[in-house]
Formats: sequence, C-alpha cells, structure tokens
Amino acid sequence: MVKSLLRSILQKLTANPFSRKSHVKLGLYGPPNGGKSTLANRICTDWLGEEMSSVSHIAHETREIVIKEQVTIKNKRGKELTFSLVDTPGIATKIDYEEFLRKGLNKVEAKKRAKEATKGVIDSIKWLDNMDSVVVVLDATIDPYSQVNITIIGNLQARNIPVIIAANKVDLRKANTDLINAAFPQYPVIGISAKYGKNVEDFYEQIFKVVK
Amino acid sequence: MPHQCVRCNNFYEDGSQEILKGCPCGAKLFFYIKKQQLDKSTKEFITNFTDEEKQQIEHDIKEILHVKEELDNPVVLDLESIRVLQPGKYELDLVHLFKKDPLIIKLDEGKYMIDLPQAFKKEEKK
Repeated sequence: MVKSLLRSILQKLTANPFSRKSHVKLGLYGPPNGGKSTLANRICTDWLGEEMSSVSHIAHETREIVIKEQVTIKNKRGKELTFSLVDTPGIATKIDYEEFLRKGLNKVEAKKRAKEATKGVIDSIKWLDNMDSVVVVLDATIDPYSQVNITIIGNLQARNIPVIIAANKVDLRKANTDLINAAFPQYPVIGISAKYGKNVEDFYEQIFKVVK
Repeated sequence: MPHQCVRCNNFYEDGSQEILKGCPCGAKLFFYIKKQQLDKSTKEFITNFTDEEKQQIEHDIKEILHVKEELDNPVVLDLESIRVLQPGKYELDLVHLFKKDPLIIKLDEGKYMIDLPQAFKKEEKK
C-alpha cells in the first residue's frame, strides 16, 4: 500500500510536463512562393505571439522542414485544438540557379540555394507520411492546374490524408479562388490573405473540421 | 547493368569488386545505368562535365541525399527522379519521388541503393 503510494508520488514528480503534448502534425505543403511560411507565421503570431519562419520574395526561402510544437488554437465556441505545425520547403519540378541569379544572388549563393531547394523537395515528400492533416497553400493568382499541385493533391488523396486548400493572396486583384475550387472540388478551399490576416477566422474554423 | 563511377567515368558490371569496395580512383559513388540509356549514348552521361563540375555534382548529390561526405561503403545512384543538368540545375520527377520510399535502401554487404532513379542526362538542346 505504502509502496504503491510512493510509486504514484514518484511518478507524478518525474512525469514530463510536456508528455500530454499533441502529436497531431499539421503540414503546410505546396509549390514555392505560395505563402506557406507567411501562413505559418500568421498562425504562430495569432496564437503564440511569435513568428516561425523567414519569408522572402525569392522562391525556395524555406529549404528545411521547420516544426513548431504545441500550437493551440481556439474556436468561437471555446473549443481548443493543439497540433504541431510543420512548414515545409516548396515542391517544384525544376530548380535552376539562374532564376536566383536574376533575383540578385551571386553565382555561389544561387547554386547553393538550388542544391538546398532540391534537397528540400525530397525532404518535404519524405515527411508527407508523418502528417495527420495537410494544408495545401496555393497562390490564388496563379493557374492551379499545374503538375506540382495535381501531384501533391493526388498523393494526399491516395494516402487518405485530410486536406484543406488555402487559396492565398486574395488581397491581390488577380486572385481567383473559384478557379482553385473548380480544380480541386474534393477539398474545402478557403480564400485567405496570410499576409494581411484576411479571412483567417474561416480558415481556423476549417482546421477544426478537418484535423482529427 | 553497368555502373559508372561519378568521378572517373569508368564502367563496372553488377556485383564487381569495384562496386562493392569502391573505384580504384578513390570514389565510392556510382551511377546505375539502364540498358536503354547505355544504348542511346553512354557518353552523354557525365563525360561532358569538367572535372570541377563532376566534383561539385558528386558533393551536391551526397548532400541532397544526406549521404555523409566520406563514404564508408560505395553508394549506387539510380537516378530516375532527379536529373542533374549541371551544378545548380535540377529537374525532379515528382510522380516518381512520391512513389518511392525510402530514398536510400541499404542492401546486404554494406552496399546502398538510392532509389532516386534515372537519367543523369545532358541538358536537352531546344
């Protein structure tokens, strides 16, 4: 009796305070420059008060997987949801250092960026199996019928991973959420502006519906 | 199927000592070459790169695939999903990459197979 009491006290003392952390992983996937890191920063700023990733107008800014553990969001009814947010490098079919040269990088930096971006694509794909749910972040000003988008979404569907499509950059005039809706009718499409926070409440509500 | 040394371009048959222990030139990284590619034009593979480029490609591929710089055992690259057009220019076959898992398969006898498949081709002239 005393022994078991001691054991239970000991267990409480040695228990890891983080042991209750959520293991649900929410991945941000998509082509480069769709706004994955901007959305990651929006989510983290809204709920944790700090940013998560660096963003840039030059494609392939995120070249390594970035994880933010224990992100807890709350909906209007006071329900809470905790997950690990995983920001991934953009997935592309072609990576050419000359594109980075045109953006002002020198040759050495541009080739390094290309190599790291290629590695990033492979890592993003490798990590897909670890995801419980995925937000596919697309630039709503760009035609969604691309090989990258179709391959990513097709693979998510084949793996039965729940998906939300964030049609980002709706603050821009060229944005067309309807086109993304038409391209991928099997998934909920939420038009947002991660940069300005437009419509993110609807996006958070959708996370509650999709993340299990 | 032959394997081509990334550094010196020599060809070795399946299961040869060089593939198991490393090329006499010191490199332990090989490209796996399919018969149809070999028939097409072997020379297209890596012979058109300068020594410096070859070295850079070898270094880059190791880094991309998380292979440590000093290899203990030879590594065979079966490049179907990544085409290195030249250092800093890559083409990725996503359909293939999504299908293949894991990217590096350890085989018996300390031999590794990296199933990043096909084609280390020269940039196609338009």
